[in-house]
Amino acid sequence: MKRIYYLVRKEFRQILREPAYIGILFIMPVVQIILLGYAITTDVKNIKVGIVDLDQSPMSERLVEAYTRNNSFIYYGSTDDERVLIRWLDDGRISLGMVIPLHFQRDLINGRQPDVQMVLDGVDGNSAGVVAAYAAQVTVALQKEWLPKVPPLQKKAAALHITTIEPRMWYNPDLKSVNNIVPGIIATLLTMVTLLVTAMSIVREKELGTLEQLMVTPLRKGELMIGKIIPFEIAGFLLVNVSILAAGWIFGIWIVGSVWTLYLMSLIFSLSTLGVGILTSTMARTQQQAMFIAWFFMVFSLLLSGFFIPIKNMPDIIQGLTYLNPMRYFMVVIREIYLKGTPLEFLWKEGVAMLTFGVASFVLATVRFSKRIG
Amino acid sequence: MRGRIFRAIVLKEFYHIWRDPQTLMIILLLPLLMLILYGYAITLEMRNIETIVVDRDHSPASRAFLEQIEAVDFFRIVARDIDDNDLETVFQQRLASCVIIIPARFERRLRENFSTPVQVIIDATDPNAANYINNYLSQISTRYNFSYNPLIPVTFNITPRLLYNPDMKSSFFFVPGLVAVILLLISTLLTSIAIVREKEMGTMEQILVSPVHPFQIILGKVIPYVLIGYGISVMILVVAHYLFNVPVVGSLWMLNLSLVLYILSGLSIGLFISTITNKQQIAMMATLMATILPTVMMSGFIFPISSMPLPLQWVSDIVPATHFLIIIRGVMLKGTGLHELWPQTAILLGMSVFLLGLSTRKFKSTLE
Repeated sequence: MKRIYYLVRKEFRQILREPAYIGILFIMPVVQIILLGYAITTDVKNIKVGIVDLDQSPMSERLVEAYTRNNSFIYYGSTDDERVLIRWLDDGRISLGMVIPLHFQRDLINGRQPDVQMVLDGVDGNSAGVVAAYAAQVTVALQKEWLPKVPPLQKKAAALHITTIEPRMWYNPDLKSVNNIVPGIIATLLTMVTLLVTAMSIVREKELGTLEQLMVTPLRKGELMIGKIIPFEIAGFLLVNVSILAAGWIFGIWIVGSVWTLYLMSLIFSLSTLGVGILTSTMARTQQQAMFIAWFFMVFSLLLSGFFIPIKNMPDIIQGLTYLNPMRYFMVVIREIYLKGTPLEFLWKEGVAMLTFGVASFVLATVRFSKRIG
Repeated sequence: MRGRIFRAIVLKEFYHIWRDPQTLMIILLLPLLMLILYGYAITLEMRNIETIVVDRDHSPASRAFLEQIEAVDFFRIVARDIDDNDLETVFQQRLASCVIIIPARFERRLRENFSTPVQVIIDATDPNAANYINNYLSQISTRYNFSYNPLIPVTFNITPRLLYNPDMKSSFFFVPGLVAVILLLISTLLTSIAIVREKEMGTMEQILVSPVHPFQIILGKVIPYVLIGYGISVMILVVAHYLFNVPVVGSLWMLNLSLVLYILSGLSIGLFISTITNKQQIAMMATLMATILPTVMMSGFIFPISSMPLPLQWVSDIVPATHFLIIIRGVMLKGTGLHELWPQTAILLGMSVFLLGLSTRKFKSTLE
């Protein structure tokens, strides 16, 4: 027991002596949260609109006004040549082009239902879909406003019976993507730091030769492992706290659920990533190699964690693969606790999965360890 | 004399790589693996949304409405008529993403009133998904309205017209971006292999005493990796074209040029970083990693740049991938060429030249 204590103390001394560690633990998380929290947004904002108005009537102008005097849309410019509009779209100068035909007002009042073209760049299908949806909302409002002005249609309108959808958005009523992304960033940071720092630490010992020195001490393999795990668990724990505070102070995003549940889950999660980190270090010969392996594991697990692409969208085979990714579980857990206040009883399955990973990788690492040195 | 030594440096790099089959395997297989895996994984198209329906009316009208929902693949009904009190736990257990509630006396209200609301509770933790679900339900509601009413008068029609990618396949959008990310990873990997190997073997000094200008040394190191990187990029583009049907509408010549320039810029960054972080491996790796995150998050790969706050849009302007993505998407999907894309091309070239120049200067100063 006391041996472990001395080992832990040694690790802390090593960490404190390396200023890079302090930077990684405290400064980098804050910088990343700020940078990424602001940069990553799936909200579509500042949609620039270009207009071709061939009618130039009060109603067509009202149409233009409705679409541009709006929170999401910004008026970019008008032209009377459709090809210019398309070129603007190509260059990315506008995201939405509207073409109002000649005789728009006249046809509308006579109930002839003129066609207004909404031109979109389909390359970014997702954004195009969102832009179209926003535009549709404006359309609906305009339809209501103009119906009284079109006598031929009014009678039909009076006899209408329609259903409408009344959505209630739970847990994120303003639909801000930042609420979803920031907990994800915290999960990413925790993964990055725990993976890299462990992998590097053991390999550094190997390179410096201090590992062999540790081997001749009466320390057992298990104790060595524990001695490495404890300081990094503590470091990870500190990181989580720094991140929680940063997320709260900078973005006003605070945990809805129980902090203790989050602590418990992050400790379990770090265990699994530390395990992978240590396993990595048993496979690498140089610090550089260790970093690469850890890095690749990180990139793979990041894109398959549900961070920016929901796992449900992926093909079934790949969804199966994600079950092997500890980060996938933590991503669910941290978002649930942050946004829904989900209690531990509904998160235990994820906890067990992460724990299994941790234990499995440690066992594997211990086995490999003995094979290499002994 | 100078030319011969230059050629020797280039050939030496090639021999080094050739003699390391492990690394060779990694740099050839890894990009393919990533392309295939993520090409299939990264899609924003949703399906199989777990849904719960609560029918408080049990009338022909309500059943007709629900039929519309059940008819589409998009929604997967997992439960019916649950209790109000269970709503919270349903979401916390992630049993469903939305709950559709048809109110009591739905049929009668529909007959008597102009509009009757159907309540939908959506788990908005993923606001993108929530919007998607809401829009889809609005479409279903509209379809139901058309079937219930003889004629729905609209004052005017809005017809959407999608330029390029009319089927809105997200792979067309993502795969070129994926190529950019993979190539950046490979470039940084290659540079550090190049530099670190030199340092480990101590052959740096040997090169330094040869009568070659430092710029030639730098260039000699970079060229073989540009060629390797280019080869890899062609490989993944071919796979992307045949596996994901991403078209190549524009000029191949332009495509190749942009690939070479992009790889060059990636290598230049890696090289530059390695010249300024001579001693600390950690610093070098950390900074290299610092180039990965902006490339993935801020280059317009997945998240639109126009949605970012202005200062961050400026940051994305110095990420080479941002400009490369404009070029590659333009060439592959829209058929634009050098005529329209020369600014981005110039920027990529400029970045590489600038960084290589800086590296040479740094290198020269270590000589003296």
